[in-house]
Amino acid sequence: MVDTRPFLPVSSHAGSDPTGPSENRRKPMKLQLSIFFVLLTVGFFAALLTSNNGSDNGFVKENEHGSLASPSSEKQLRPVSRGPAVGVSEKSNRLFAKDNENQLAYPWNNSMLSWQRTAFHFQPEKNWMNDPNGPLFYKGWYHFFYQYNPHAAVWGDIVWGHAVSKDLIHWLHLPLAMVADQWYDKNGVWTGSATILPDGKVVMLYTGSTTENVQVQNLAYPADHSDPLLINWVKYSGNPVLVPPPGILDKDFRDPTTAWLTSEGKWRITIGSKINKTGIALVYDTKDFINYELLDGILHAVPGTGMWECVDFFPVSKTEENGLDTSVNGPSVKHVVKASLDDDRHDYYSIGTYHEKNGTWIPDEPKIDVGIGLRYDYGIYYAAKTFYDQNKNRRVLWGWIGESDSEAAEMQKGWASVQSIPRTILFDKKTGTHLLQWPVEEIESLRLKSYEFNQVKVQAGSVVPLDVGPATQLDIIAEFEIDNEALEKTTGSNVTFSCSSSGGTVERGALGPFGLLVLADDSLSEQTPVYFYIAKGSDGKLKTFFCNDQSRSSVASDVNKQIYGNLVPVLEGEKLSLRVLVDHSIVESFAQGGRTVITSRVYPTKAIYGAAKLFLFNNATEASVSASLRIWQMNSAFIRPYPNDKESQ
Amino acid sequence: MTKIISLFILEAVFCFTFFTVSYSDINLIQTTCKKTPFYDLCVLTLKSDPRSSTADVSGLARIVADSVKAKAIATLNQISALLNSVKDPTLEKALEGCIVSYNTIIQADIPVAIDAIEKNNPKFAVQSATDAGNEAQACENSFAEKPSNSPIFSGNKAVHDLSVVLQSIASLLL
Repeated sequence: MVDTRPFLPVSSHAGSDPTGPSENRRKPMKLQLSIFFVLLTVGFFAALLTSNNGSDNGFVKENEHGSLASPSSEKQLRPVSRGPAVGVSEKSNRLFAKDNENQLAYPWNNSMLSWQRTAFHFQPEKNWMNDPNGPLFYKGWYHFFYQYNPHAAVWGDIVWGHAVSKDLIHWLHLPLAMVADQWYDKNGVWTGSATILPDGKVVMLYTGSTTENVQVQNLAYPADHSDPLLINWVKYSGNPVLVPPPGILDKDFRDPTTAWLTSEGKWRITIGSKINKTGIALVYDTKDFINYELLDGILHAVPGTGMWECVDFFPVSKTEENGLDTSVNGPSVKHVVKASLDDDRHDYYSIGTYHEKNGTWIPDEPKIDVGIGLRYDYGIYYAAKTFYDQNKNRRVLWGWIGESDSEAAEMQKGWASVQSIPRTILFDKKTGTHLLQWPVEEIESLRLKSYEFNQVKVQAGSVVPLDVGPATQLDIIAEFEIDNEALEKTTGSNVTFSCSSSGGTVERGALGPFGLLVLADDSLSEQTPVYFYIAKGSDGKLKTFFCNDQSRSSVASDVNKQIYGNLVPVLEGEKLSLRVLVDHSIVESFAQGGRTVITSRVYPTKAIYGAAKLFLFNNATEASVSASLRIWQMNSAFIRPYPNDKESQ
Repeated sequence: MTKIISLFILEAVFCFTFFTVSYSDINLIQTTCKKTPFYDLCVLTLKSDPRSSTADVSGLARIVADSVKAKAIATLNQISALLNSVKDPTLEKALEGCIVSYNTIIQADIPVAIDAIEKNNPKFAVQSATDAGNEAQACENSFAEKPSNSPIFSGNKAVHDLSVVLQSIASLLL
């Protein structure tokens, strides 16, 4: 008879046992028990082994930190880098000064802190700001929205702030545009973008973080399209219009872009996300901004780059010196894909070709693909977003500039973050691989008294003061020429140079560093060098680096002391050129017409107010340089609330 | 024979499931802590909190954040007590600076870190954790008597090291 109970222990009496007497039954029983114990042991060892599976990931060895019972000589707690948490060499990137003998960690008084507020960079009157949102030009006004915390100088309770300007420089604050008043944005009214429809109407798509912390996309539009100030906004009653699609996590779906038209007359947007550690951009088509179809493919993906925040996608002209509407396409057009990488808090871009039919994009140079190649800015700069300014036919870039001092200082000063001066973006025809960024021309309306210096010679190892009066609000345009003889005579070497791992301006090379010292006091105890460093390879080829050195920018120990910068392409026949905007605690510097850009936050304790000065310096060992400069004092932009009375502007 | 084979399969499944389930929570703590520079501290902190047995990485980060806050409050109390009886003006100044640092950790850094973890925007948790560690270090650095440690060295070290652990775990959520 067939045993109908195959999973019962053999020792049951039911069922026939054709093999006969009980002795035979005991053998399988012993076998079973021994197998059971073998498995038990194997499982036990397997668990042990996997739990002790080798230490790896390249993080710092444990004895460098020590346990809680470290010897008393281990006085120095390791500085906590603001870079990636583990596996980054701390050696030359020390956040804190090395010899801070008797330095009070918190030297800040109200005079120092209030000096830090900028005169002509956009910032709200107080509290925290982050990403730029939905910039656009509408009915005579430039609009700027931004991530804002109305309650504190730290991130949290995020809503949309709003301001308007006639010229991208003189801003007037308006009431909050959107607050967290719906279930679908209760936990955050996050980043979004504006699209201007052919009839001139505006739609806004933005990310909401729901009551369950799911990231969704919502539609909003002006309550009154005839109001040039766009003060009141209405959220679409059927929100959200997009929820995370299958395969995408609830927490990896945010920051919708401005829409552009497809050849079929539909609108297309892209939204950044990730799959494991591959950063991707999803593509959706829509006819009405309410119903969407997810395209089968994605716009692009780059492995290892992590979450793509604030994706931006736009065309640039290969031939013309103007911006293009986001929907423009054609043979003389290239497309840029940009992503803000969550993993390292930097903005990366890449230039390539857009294939409209299947909604994909391919980089011109895969080696400098999105997230692994060029950055908009090698300093502190994130969540950037462009818009097409139909008023002046240009593409304008906004970027969030955070703080690099301690949270304690921010609590005391009651505010945190500024925006960069808006920059125009153009394709760099000369290199074909870079974009050029340049402060919008309207900033020149702030220029007051100017100073000119021609062919000032700066010998190797010297510093030349530039008498320009107060030196905290400046627009500097400079050209440098380096002694040709030294360029040729110098022996090249194999040593690779990088701004961030160098010793800053105290590290002397034959052909650099040289440039400007901004926000420096007379004794140079505090100084922020903005400079070039030319390195000659063993093949005789010259490489030029552009850096900002914060290591001696302040005697305070609780500010970022890193050295920012990168290679800057300098083509045959080009002089070294520099533009620097100094505005209290922010320095924006542009090399070679904006091919390489660095923004720094600087927090001096002494080089403030009338004590801040400007110098030329040359710390090279062999080459002398000569510099020609035009420097302007800059007026304040008087950024303030929109006046209640209707007469004033 | 089939009986034996099927029994064998059943027991294999049983054994491995049993071990996977009972070791998984410990494994998550261990694999997570391995990615921080203070493995022992991390494991000790997590294991001493009952929530860790069912927590995902986000939950583990939350536990560490709570621990930083608790240690910071304890250290702040220590600083306040010292301030009550301090005579030396240099020491007094250092302690006052530390009050500022610790208030920042307790009122700004940790609440923001917890909020950011909850709202799935971990980069702000990473930044806040970094700052918390820096505040603790700044406090330690402000004491003039080098090379010996400050009177609150162990508090500063605990808060600093736990902040680094928090920073590392929050980075895993990026």
